[in-house]
Amino acid sequence: MQQLYPFLAPGGTDLSAVLADVRRSTAEKANEIVRLREIVLEEYGAELAACAARMAESFRAGGRLFAFGNGGSSTDAQDVAALFLNPGGGARPLPALALTTDVAVVTALSNDIGFEVVFARQLAAFGRPGDIAVALSTSGNSDNLIAALREAAGRGMVTVGLAGYTGGQMAETPGMSHLFVVPSSSVHRIQEAQTTIYHALWELTQRELVGEAA
Amino acid sequence: MTTTNDEAGAVAEVFRRRAAPGAALAGAADAVAAACHAMAARFHRGGRLFTFGNGGAATDAQHVAVEFVHPVIVGKRAMPALSLTGDVATLTGIGAATGFDEVFAHQLRCFGGPDDMALGISPDGRCGSVLRGLQEARGLGMLTVALTGGDGGAVAASPAVDHVVTVPSGDPRVVKEVHVTAYHVLWELVHVFLEQPGVLGREVVA
Repeated sequence: MQQLYPFLAPGGTDLSAVLADVRRSTAEKANEIVRLREIVLEEYGAELAACAARMAESFRAGGRLFAFGNGGSSTDAQDVAALFLNPGGGARPLPALALTTDVAVVTALSNDIGFEVVFARQLAAFGRPGDIAVALSTSGNSDNLIAALREAAGRGMVTVGLAGYTGGQMAETPGMSHLFVVPSSSVHRIQEAQTTIYHALWELTQRELVGEAA
Repeated sequence: MTTTNDEAGAVAEVFRRRAAPGAALAGAADAVAAACHAMAARFHRGGRLFTFGNGGAATDAQHVAVEFVHPVIVGKRAMPALSLTGDVATLTGIGAATGFDEVFAHQLRCFGGPDDMALGISPDGRCGSVLRGLQEARGLGMLTVALTGGDGGAVAASPAVDHVVTVPSGDPRVVKEVHVTAYHVLWELVHVFLEQPGVLGREVVA
């Protein structure tokens, strides 16, 4: 902690010094995510194009997208669904659902069976071959995501995984169609880069579908 | 699968559009630091944070709240933060009865007090409900913080807003990405001030 914020050393309670360090820290983090996005583009540019082409193919064939994650990643899952379903402007609305928003379903499954099945059971109910499952995790190790990805793969769905660090269990899950591992150990920077990844997937999917009848 | 030059160019262009607005957050470091200090002072005296936004920004409001309530970094204190976007019965109830612009203002009137904080998120600064929420919060004596984009719109221009960070991009998705960094930084640096309670007695800013 003292390495990150040297002013936290005893006696360092001067407000202007703290403000100066906080300003410096803000600038460092802003520059850090700009660099991380450059690395993601280098490592995953071709994979992003391939994934978007596959997603467009799925939507063309009547496929639907299901997004899920825990905690902060649950809000990203909802953002993914909202973006595809109601993009605004001239973009084409596409069928997408977040599996995190129905409290009746989530509490029923958690209470009756266990939290590890909350997404897998919903995919078992909704999922059809060719649908898209988008799993968002920073660690790649959430049991309920891994269970859902296995369920999705078993049903012939397109499985898209977003993880961080070195990919965790998600990187070892069989049948993943597309996996994006953000090479960072900061949960916050990972989430920020993942937001760019799903925005890029959305934009490239829209680009694939331009000019086609809705 | 091979990638054509055309596709590779499209992917690169998507990423290129993020670079300048992302780097611009460093230039807003003064505003971020001042907002963190003011928020830490409020938390220190028992204040609570209320967050709100529409569409994609509603998910950001929930993301900010969970950052404070359940910190990802082990050992950080849980702080009281509530997203006003999570209760569908309340949102649809107020929206249907009074009009959608009142969905956040109404909740703030019920929950908010003078020690509390309001964080409104509007990617184009033109959300009527976010503006109304911030105005109501100001009327209650709360600290008001806004994250906007583009030209900042009516939200950034409002005298009801104490601290504002405006992301210079007309693409709502790029704006959102920089907002995510901004509120991650807000969360982390609020804790830096909270760990130095000696600097929270006097507020240099509103």
